[in-house]
This record gives sequence, C-alpha cells and structure tokens, in this order.
Amino acid sequence: MKKIVSIFLLLFLLTSGFRLDGTIDTNAKIKAVFIYNFTKYIEWPQTYKEGAFTIGVIGETSLYSELVKMTETKKVANQTLEVKKFISPSEITKCHILYICRDKSGNLSEILKKVKSNSTLIVTEENGLMDKGAGINFVIKENRQKFELNKGNVERYKLKVSSNLEALAFTVK
Amino acid sequence: MIKRFYILSLVVLTVNSAFGQFIGRDGVSKALFFLQKNELDSAKKYIDEAEQDQNLTSQSKTWYYRGLIYKDLYKAYQKDDKTSPFRFTSVESLKKLLSIDTTKEFSESAQKMFNYLASTFYNDAARSLNPQTYKTSEEYYNIYKDLIVLASAPTDFTQQDIKFKLALASMLNQNLEKQTKKDSLKIEEVKGIYTEIIKLDSNNGSANYNIGILYYNESVDIINNMDYDMDLEELNRCQDVCTDLFLKALPYMLKSHELHYNLKETLIGLANIYHGLNDLEKEDFYKNELRAISSENENK
Repeated sequence: MKKIVSIFLLLFLLTSGFRLDGTIDTNAKIKAVFIYNFTKYIEWPQTYKEGAFTIGVIGETSLYSELVKMTETKKVANQTLEVKKFISPSEITKCHILYICRDKSGNLSEILKKVKSNSTLIVTEENGLMDKGAGINFVIKENRQKFELNKGNVERYKLKVSSNLEALAFTVK
Repeated sequence: MIKRFYILSLVVLTVNSAFGQFIGRDGVSKALFFLQKNELDSAKKYIDEAEQDQNLTSQSKTWYYRGLIYKDLYKAYQKDDKTSPFRFTSVESLKKLLSIDTTKEFSESAQKMFNYLASTFYNDAARSLNPQTYKTSEEYYNIYKDLIVLASAPTDFTQQDIKFKLALASMLNQNLEKQTKKDSLKIEEVKGIYTEIIKLDSNNGSANYNIGILYYNESVDIINNMDYDMDLEELNRCQDVCTDLFLKALPYMLKSHELHYNLKETLIGLANIYHGLNDLEKEDFYKNELRAISSENENK
C-alpha cells in the first residue's frame, strides 16, 4: 500500500501547477487593440494615406513589442503598418500616431512642439495630460483600461474624429 | 480375460472412491474440496451451483467461500485485469456475507479479504490515473474506501482524499497544459477538484496556488487570443470577463502567499494578477518582494 501512496505523491510533485510566464503583458495587448481601433475611427489627411502607417513610441514600454507583433498581420486600409521607437523627443519623425509612455510624460510640451506641423494623434497614459495637449489618454477605471478623448486636441492636427469614437470614450472634452 | 476383469474392477473402485466423498455433500463442501486441492475451476463450478441453491443461499459459509474462491480466481487469472469480474464477484459475495453473518463466524477472515481487495482497487486507482481512465480511477478509489470501511473500524480519509484529489487535479492540469486549445469544461472540472480540496483543507498551498493559476491563465488566454480587429464594445466586454477572472484568481494567490507556498512563483503570479487588474502599485509591491527574496537567495 505504501508503494502506491508514494506513486500518488510523486505524480503530485511532478505536476503541480502551471508555469507562469512573466513575459505576458496583458495590458499591452489590450492597448494595442485600442490603438488599432483608433485608426478606424480617426481620419488622417490625404497626404497621410500613402506609404506606411507609422506608429511611434517614445519611452520604455512592452506595448512597443506588442505593436511590432501587430504589424505582422494588420494593415490600416491599404497601408502597411510600421512601428518606430524613439528614445528622446529630438528623435521623433513623422508618424500617424505617437504613443508617449508614462516615463516620458514630463516631455509632453517638448514633444508637442516637435510634432506641431504634423497630423499626429497624440496618445498618452498619465492622468491630467488631456488638459496638456494629448488627443487620447488611457485611464484606469474599475481595473479596466478606458480612454479619454480631447476632440479639440485631435482636430488641432487636422484629424477628423468619428462620432462613434466619442460615444465609446470614457470622457470627451 | 481375468487380467482385464481385474483392471476394470480397479478402475471402477478408484472412480467410486473419488466420487464417494461427495455422496450426501452440498455444493459448498464440494467447492471447498476442490479449493483445498487448488483446483479453482472446479471449485468455481460447485460454488456457482451452491449460489443457485435456495437451501444454501441463506448460509454464511456459501457467501464466504464464494468470496474466497473468486478472490483466488482473481489472483490466479485476472490480477492484471482492472475490470476483473472475479474481483467484483468476490466483493459482492463478501458484502452479502456481512449482511447475513449474524454470528460473526467469518467476520475476521472476511475483513482480511476486504483489506486485500481494497489494496488491489487502490493500486488500480493509481494505475488508472491518466487522462483516458481517470473516471475509473475515481470509481476505484471510492470502492477502496468502501472496502476499507467494511474491513475495519471507521477511518478518516481526509488526508488520503486530499492526496488523491491533488494527484488527480495535477494530472488533469498537466494534460490541459499540453492542449493548444483549452477545453473549458475540463478547466472547470479541475477547478472543481481544487475547490473540493480547499473545502477539506483551506490551508492547502498547492490547491490554492493551482486554482489561482487556473483563473489567471484563463484570463490571459482570452487576452492572448484577442484579434487586434476586435471592436471596442467587444473589447470592453472582454475586459469585464478578464477582470472578473483576475479578481477570482486573487484570493487564492494571496492565500498561497500567506502560506509561503511556492513563494517565488506565487509572487510572480500576484504581480501578474495585479498587472492585469491595472493596479501598478501593488504589482510593484510584489515585484519588489520577489527581488528581495531573489537577492537573499543569491547571497546565501
């Protein structure tokens, strides 16, 4: 009998639990889905509808690798998707969407100056940045990712916002 | 001619003396005769006849010897057959014996046989513990418990139940890990087994940890399988489902942490759950604890 008890124990020791994968970033995937949706509800000027559709990321975030993964399977209309990573505001080049990570939030005014002549959707993830020039700001409400929309800040860059996006935003200014 | 007569007489005498022993004897005695000679097939023939005889079915000895003969038949012919009919017949006969053996004449011997049969069911429960036959394993484990109760005084099976259920859940869990497309009914079944363990022992680290991981993984799988094209309304509904799953995982992982079970993995789990819940402060708290124990281990 003892022999069999030890078989049960051995099996238990060998197989207890699933391995947790620390590399999974669930929030990054959700944000990537949001960002891809923004491309459907916002219209860029005609000159931005040729060539690649560029998403710039400034700062350190796992969203960057998630967006790169997205470029492998998705397009925006007929435009291929590309993702660029910038370390500092001075590196920023023309992009359709610019995602500013939390660690670069302090550079917002400098970044806005850099992109002011472009048609760029500015997306941030820090409370209060809606009032400082961001077009869309990710916020956390009841443990969920939501977004705030500042229509004026979006349209300042010659972008058109669909009313459907307004309806889906947590708050609209 | 005379020589032939002598030979024939000798044969008749021999046959008569063999069968002569049976004259006036019942089926049970005949079965016992062959059992003692280890001629099990003949013993079976007579005990089966006895089992049809109304005069014998009310007697304890009929059921005792039937149990004994079928137990020996099982040992001789069907020991490797998990579905052995001989073994079930033996059990059934001994149960019948207990119900009619008011004088307790055969009780002690029957208990020994129940003990032996119980151990064979236990062994087969262990051998059947795989994704294809685990229901048999559960069934045999329950038979084992029934027989142990019949063999001796009431026993507390709590610890054994926990061990068995952990082994069962771990085996099913491991099998789930191998599947690319997860079977949601199986996930629920495994969760159910861990829940049963927690009811038996709320401080069971393994069950708390594993059920927490199951809820966590379920949520992660939903998120990983999201298409980037998913519309925002659907995304919000998915977030509701995933948040609910992360919240369900949380108390189990916190309990695992409280118990210091699998501490490193539990801390990773807690950090990931809080990350999923967008609670970055608490995520950092557990990441820091993880760093602290990692550096402690490095310094050792």
